[in-house]
Amino acid sequence: MNRIKHLLEYDFRNFFRYKWWIAGMISMNLADLIIMAVVYTNMVSQEVSQKYLNYFLFFSPGITITALFAAAFMIGREINRELRREISHYLLSLPFSRWELAFGRVLSGGLRGMVYMAPLLITTIFITWVFTGNIPSVLGILIILTTLFLVSVGTSGLSITMSLSTRSFEKFVTARGVVYYILFFCSSVFYPLDFIQQLGREGTLPQFLVLIAEMNPLSSGADTTRAFLFGHPAYSPFMLLNVALFALIFVLTASFAYLKILQG
Amino acid sequence: MAIIQTVDLTKKFGNFTAVDHLNLSIEEGEIFGLLGPNGAGKTTTLLMLVTVIKPTKGTAYVDGYDITREPDKARRLIGMAFQDPKLMWVVTPWDVLNWHAKVCGLSSLERKKRVKWALTELGLWENRHKSVHTFSGGMRKRVEIAKILIQRPKIAIVDEPTTQIDIVGKHRIWNMIRTLRDEGSTIILATNELYEADLLSDRVAIMHKGKLLVCDSPKKLKDSIVGGDLIEVILEKEAPKTLIEELEKIDKIVEVLVLKPNHLRIYLNRAEEILPQITEFFIKTHLPIQSIRMSEPSLDDVFAHYTGLTIEEAEKR
Repeated sequence: MNRIKHLLEYDFRNFFRYKWWIAGMISMNLADLIIMAVVYTNMVSQEVSQKYLNYFLFFSPGITITALFAAAFMIGREINRELRREISHYLLSLPFSRWELAFGRVLSGGLRGMVYMAPLLITTIFITWVFTGNIPSVLGILIILTTLFLVSVGTSGLSITMSLSTRSFEKFVTARGVVYYILFFCSSVFYPLDFIQQLGREGTLPQFLVLIAEMNPLSSGADTTRAFLFGHPAYSPFMLLNVALFALIFVLTASFAYLKILQG
Repeated sequence: MAIIQTVDLTKKFGNFTAVDHLNLSIEEGEIFGLLGPNGAGKTTTLLMLVTVIKPTKGTAYVDGYDITREPDKARRLIGMAFQDPKLMWVVTPWDVLNWHAKVCGLSSLERKKRVKWALTELGLWENRHKSVHTFSGGMRKRVEIAKILIQRPKIAIVDEPTTQIDIVGKHRIWNMIRTLRDEGSTIILATNELYEADLLSDRVAIMHKGKLLVCDSPKKLKDSIVGGDLIEVILEKEAPKTLIEELEKIDKIVEVLVLKPNHLRIYLNRAEEILPQITEFFIKTHLPIQSIRMSEPSLDDVFAHYTGLTIEEAEKR
């Protein structure tokens, strides 16, 4: 456990090395939330977001989860850089077991995502309270945090797996772009899942995109938050199960990557 | 007693064989030099020993632990200072070394003591809170070396420890490597600096194209070159031909070359043992010596003897 603590220290110091950049990014996310939501509120049909009072309130959990995803994904970029500069050799030569190293790095990425996301989640809860008077229960907050943590850990594992699969920064950045677009846009971040499903039934949206949106951990994360803030969509244990599965799969693949790919 | 034993240790990267059936035995408490040109397979061998990469074939035993079956146990016994400094995210040498010491399990008190000692000894104390990004290559290298000095592992691996370091710094590091050995560590020194290997190593293994060419003490390696030692004698008078024939009869003398009538070059083995006999020979034959110069082969000559190439030529190929 002590060794994992050292790895957390390593990754958090690396994270806060860019503290001004992080502050800037959080401010930008908050600005996005305000500007985009205000603009979109007037653009998007009221039918789409009426259950959430307005699109602004619907969108705020969405932007929270995208910020969480982006922050948790950062660890992959760092590990890819370590791989290219062979700093990974140094880490692999230290008295960590491979499992400690893999789990520690995945956990670091996950926790960093949570730290980055915290001001946005607090803002989301605050503005929801201002507009609707709703405040989630303690149990609700615990479920939201657990779900978001699992999304964050899974994202961290996904980015580590990708980063260890190639030494090329260009390939990593391209793959990251593809994953970002699929997971951001085929999700309930921007539109309610029932609206996406309706488009699928009408044949406007291909069924496989609907399926990706349903299975997408970002959808589960955003909808869990909405469920406890607005009561819409109804909370389902499937959401927690879905993100737990996502986290489990990518913790294992990241560990596998450390064990097999990195050691050659 | 062998603390490291490699058995047919092999590493392939695609079709390229970086290390080819390497069989080595490293004794506990010795400074073991691994010598060879760039690309000889030294660093790949070390990375396998420290369990960073897995062998394609064969294995190695580190204090009895098989690196392929019990890598975690083997790794805990080894510390490595890398060829290229691995300074990571951390900004200051103090932070780099402090974190390294923490991971290696040193207590808070011991950690601070050893970090301070290493930084002071390596002339980095004044710069301990400065960014490593402003450091010269030599200063960064010193921070890298400090890691194992603080860790004091049972087996310390140093890969090219003094490249980019000035001569004063080199001597400082060489002394610290000796101190580390005296305190109980076994040292594996990978280098392509022949003088460094000769000066520090109890035994040297010479590698070329992934293969082990030869392994012995520097002295025995040099002695293994027939006629490798050289004595040049300048006499006050010309030397008669009969005298040269008699000189060649002395045991260990391989060849006598007459450069000038009074200038002889003698190729032999174990020059330091034969020199008294040679001087006595000239005194007895009433031929006063004007000057005498003795030189022994370097490890470069040993490398050339086994490969037909100098280290520089081997690196170019």
